[in-house]
Amino acid sequence: MPREDTINGERLKLSGYEPTDQSDWVTGLHPMDEMLRGERLPHIWCQGCGLGTALTTFISALQWLEKNQKWDLDKVAIVSGIGCTGRVAGYIRLDSFHTTHGRAIPFATGLKLAKPELNVVVFSGDGDIAGIGGNHFIHAARRNIDINVICVNNFNYGMTGGQVGPTTPHGARAVTTQYGNFEYPFNLPYLAAAGGASFMARWTVLHARRLEWTLRQAMAHRGFSFVEIIAPCSTSYARWNPEGQGLDPQKLRRRGLEVMKHYQKVGKIAHHTHPKDATITVDGNGLITEIIEGVFIDDPKPDFQAAIEQMAHSAKEKWIAAKKTLDERLQLPGRTDYVPRTEVQLGGFGGQGIMSAGNIIGQAATIYDKLRASLTQSYGPEARGGAAGSQVVIASDPIHHPHLIEPTSMIIMSQEAYAKYVVNLSAGGILFIDDGLVRLPRNHRQDIETFGISATQIAEDLGNSRAANTVMLGFWTAIGGVVSKPAMIQSLTDSVPPKTIEVNLKSFEAGYRKGLRIKGRQ
Amino acid sequence: MNEQQGLLIGEHFLMGDYAAAEGAIMAGCRFFAGYPITPATEIAERMSIRLPQVNGIYIQMEDELASMNAALGASWSGVKSMTATSGPGFSLMMENLGLGIMTETPCVLVNVQRGGPSTGLPTLVSQQDMMQARWGSHGDYEIIALSPTSPQELFDLTIRAFNLSEKFRTPVLVMTDAEVGHMTERVAIPPPGEVEIINRPQVRKGDMPPDKYRIYQDLHPDCGFDTVSPMAAAGEGYRFHITGLTHDEHGYPVMNAEANEWNVNRLMSKIRDHRDEIIQLEEHNLDDAEVVVVSYGISARTSLWPIEQARNDGIRVGYLRLITIWPFPEKRIADLARRIRAFVVPEINMGQIIREVERCAAGQAPVFGVNRPGGEILNPEKVEKTIRQAAGQM
Ligand code: SF4
Repeated sequence: MPREDTINGERLKLSGYEPTDQSDWVTGLHPMDEMLRGERLPHIWCQGCGLGTALTTFISALQWLEKNQKWDLDKVAIVSGIGCTGRVAGYIRLDSFHTTHGRAIPFATGLKLAKPELNVVVFSGDGDIAGIGGNHFIHAARRNIDINVICVNNFNYGMTGGQVGPTTPHGARAVTTQYGNFEYPFNLPYLAAAGGASFMARWTVLHARRLEWTLRQAMAHRGFSFVEIIAPCSTSYARWNPEGQGLDPQKLRRRGLEVMKHYQKVGKIAHHTHPKDATITVDGNGLITEIIEGVFIDDPKPDFQAAIEQMAHSAKEKWIAAKKTLDERLQLPGRTDYVPRTEVQLGGFGGQGIMSAGNIIGQAATIYDKLRASLTQSYGPEARGGAAGSQVVIASDPIHHPHLIEPTSMIIMSQEAYAKYVVNLSAGGILFIDDGLVRLPRNHRQDIETFGISATQIAEDLGNSRAANTVMLGFWTAIGGVVSKPAMIQSLTDSVPPKTIEVNLKSFEAGYRKGLRIKGRQ
Repeated sequence: MNEQQGLLIGEHFLMGDYAAAEGAIMAGCRFFAGYPITPATEIAERMSIRLPQVNGIYIQMEDELASMNAALGASWSGVKSMTATSGPGFSLMMENLGLGIMTETPCVLVNVQRGGPSTGLPTLVSQQDMMQARWGSHGDYEIIALSPTSPQELFDLTIRAFNLSEKFRTPVLVMTDAEVGHMTERVAIPPPGEVEIINRPQVRKGDMPPDKYRIYQDLHPDCGFDTVSPMAAAGEGYRFHITGLTHDEHGYPVMNAEANEWNVNRLMSKIRDHRDEIIQLEEHNLDDAEVVVVSYGISARTSLWPIEQARNDGIRVGYLRLITIWPFPEKRIADLARRIRAFVVPEINMGQIIREVERCAAGQAPVFGVNRPGGEILNPEKVEKTIRQAAGQM
């Protein structure tokens, strides 16, 4: 386990911290000082650990990009998760984010999307990226978001003491697989490739120079790029496995060195290997016998930034059109008479426009008649296409209780809805039915008023059976009289697709006239 | 097209979830990351259509862990960000709500509560996550949570949530529910000039020497901010560090008890010290009240009717609605407890906020709950009956 850091608590005196005259930043003792947070050193990593090399290689690559490609390193952000590798973010002088375990990639995704000019690098360990964060990893690869993920793979969970991980070779030992790992590991570049990553590579820290070249390439790559760095964990993994076994635990540096020697023996550079074949092979005892290294895929494919810009363009056009309609909305004076609480139930099956009919009533009541209205909708999981209900409460006074307590008016367009709702209609209430779809049973309630219209038939005759709900609304408006006709007409015009305004208005009118005739007869 | 032209203004018949989205956009939110979940999905749907119209970004992440993180990441790029969810997603977001609190990252999380536990009742109302809102992420912290009663208020409080979040550099929760989220009512949206918008204290490139910048310094003499230190966005040259670990004012990890004390106190006191500013209550008839109904969200609204009934019958009932749920108005409840006969606390859960009322009443006045688990709003008769009981009439 890495050494926990308490020295810094003393050095940076909490809350009373006074900056010194000299800049805290640069100590001038190391060629990479400018890129390191000197005040954070010494780091917590063990002797013989590969993380130092991974970090300095990364810094070299950044410095090269700064020098040769005019990168502004102020625009590079680094995001880490948790674990030994996760501490990288804390030692490098960039905008740096040490997030929660496994979540570096989604954090980086937000950072990059909201500020595309940033170069965002995720630097974390195998447990963090492929274990707890595995889902984020494959989805970022799938999106091909333009971030660079660097994963240091040391085959185990180092910080917590060397437990087995998603990359521990089959048969290898960890503190939790003392009899050998019975699981099989991920091949990370292959996983990235399957997700859709457009760049992937693997190097051991032994191949520092090649690694640096690859990191430059990966960071400059447009789209999701992935680099796996194989590194010794001198304290934990090397303790249990043949590469470093038998060595004095006091000599961690030696252990790290032995592992590096082993990498030299088993590393095999094979660029453009199909990621499926870019394997890490082990013998029966978990001893690594071959590590395929190189850049496996470097296949630039556009990330989605361009698509986002294109989408924004069409979105804005759509908004301009929508806004025009809104600006052209008619202003009606509103009703001045007092409307007592009126509860309307609409019911039918999915696809009849029960929800939108409720919405048209509510909008007419509030926006145009300037009353109050609450619309609630009910559909169970079965309701996608099944039964649909929508409830509107209309009143002059504030509506404290948004649900129906004593429904006074019902618009019913299916037999099922009849069975479900009509029992609740209060005595003396008015029922409106599409009598082509609802057959009244012999024991139909006599304490309510019932009005029928062949709404679906009428709408069909007018050329669009989907306007049956509008026929019902016209019918309801004429007889029920809760919401005014001009308000309903305006609300209807706002709500239906422009191409169907005409047929809907005709349907509304047909229903309304029939309603008036019936009313006249009474 | 400038951004103001993309704002929706005027009167609209809007679903609560849509109103939350419009409130966010009005507040300046330009990033939304989410994952589909009933009954919060309509917020995401609306954002996916509206954000591209105002130069914002909408993204559907792979889960709620990722959604919350992406919102935090976006916030550190200097953009106001939001996510929305319901029960199961709220549980997943708890992990990184903690990261947002610890790293002092502004962002807004809307929870459209449905019945739980577990997958529970996806389409139906509850107020079962109120304590999870307070204590759901591990460790000691203070949180700000608001609770609306209507689509209009969902619009208004989403803006307020952003303002508080920016001002106090902390995630803020809008704890609404399936009833309000799925309810459609009139929402009046004022023109942008008439809406108070608060932006985070921020240092920009060149404002100060980066090596003198402290991301978690309290009072910053150079910048003149008094509640939290100004935030630097990524890419502005400050080369700052943030971590979910206990840290010092540089954002650097420090692993000792003293640092934890400094860190936790800082997170708690920035909210505790501004309680009076954060807490909003709606109060009616408290002066002569013998019984006070303390409620919030949809349950407060549906209590108004039974309260009217009881008052008509001569019972002196007062009404105290918690617009801000967290921090809790401890002092107000304690003061009332000393002079009233009893409290009634209606809520759609088996008794969560009632515990707070009991704690603050500290035995000075009995507290009666009106409870049911999720699925349906409270029955007005039941509330009325409990008011009578509390008044000693039954
Ligand atoms: S990876 Fe292993 S060797 Fe490196 S710091 Fe962690 S525990 Fe130590």
